[in-house]
Amino acid sequence: MKNIIVKANAGALTNFEVLDLLNSRGASKDTTRVIASETVSRSEYKVYDYLMETAASTQTRDSVTKFSDKCKGFKLAKAEILNIINLRPSSDVELTPILERPDEREIDIEGILALVQELLPPLPTLEAHKENEQEETEDGEQPNMETSV
Amino acid sequence: MFCLSELEDTVRVPPSDLNLPLEVAIKKALQKLFLDKVLSIGLCVSIYGIKSIEGGFVLPGDGAATYKVRFRIVVFRPFVGEVIAAKFKESDSNGLRLTLGFFEDVYVPAPLIPTPNRCEPDPYNRNQMRWVWKYGDDEFIIDDSCQIKFRVENISYPPVPTERAEDAKPFAPMVVTGTIDDDGLGPVSWWEACAPISDDED
Repeated sequence: MKNIIVKANAGALTNFEVLDLLNSRGASKDTTRVIASETVSRSEYKVYDYLMETAASTQTRDSVTKFSDKCKGFKLAKAEILNIINLRPSSDVELTPILERPDEREIDIEGILALVQELLPPLPTLEAHKENEQEETEDGEQPNMETSV
Repeated sequence: MFCLSELEDTVRVPPSDLNLPLEVAIKKALQKLFLDKVLSIGLCVSIYGIKSIEGGFVLPGDGAATYKVRFRIVVFRPFVGEVIAAKFKESDSNGLRLTLGFFEDVYVPAPLIPTPNRCEPDPYNRNQMRWVWKYGDDEFIIDDSCQIKFRVENISYPPVPTERAEDAKPFAPMVVTGTIDDDGLGPVSWWEACAPISDDED
């Protein structure tokens, strides 16, 4: 197969942008999707499933652009900003492996973490846990309600 | 993790698809050609968009139209130094194998597992060895209980083997080598105890 690679790297994409692209094609968590997958192929759904478990699933275009704009004040490389958006680190120990030699470059780690906290929504798993907990407590209360009714 | 690449290729649109709008038909052909395939630039994930379509030649003896298409494609090609969250797939005495769901050839070789460590038979799965990281008096087991973060060390595209041993693993056209030997890397649960910043602080 002969194909010509015109430009191997025409720009990096964040996880959010890939997820947004798949969403615009009509990808969803629907159970009937396996049968009716005219527009989204099976391999694309694997990517979709992976991305839905990452921070990308709760991000919005607004939050991502705002974050990358504000990050410019921190002397970070583009790739590092991209990696922060994809992983959404919430603690020092999650952020430092992303950065290259953070000690020598005197990067304001606290400031970045505060910005992440402010602009990027939390990871879906954390939210799901909280929801589950809430449901559990609600479930616990419900039997009483029912018996009283 | 993902990036865009621009490609140009000649695409054959089969006669059965000629009733579709041209862009749709070409996209369909491109998806069949490229999706889930590894090129020298990475794993093709999705067709991003078509930039230009030229031609429409009907070659002698062929009932199909052939177009010269320039298009952009989303490729999975992590950069060296990137940190990615993956899931545990399997482990043996050579190291770990991790999976991203859509890409399963992420390897963490034994020298890139935090030391001091030891490798022991897995009590729950006798086909497998499991790795244990010793930190002070505590022991941390690497298993499939949670996500594992790794940092990309190297990406290689092994050449297609001409001969295959009978017991060889399926050929992987793209292999990502990762390390978990740094603070904050490895199973997510290892680092959960390290205080996350709370809302009260700011």
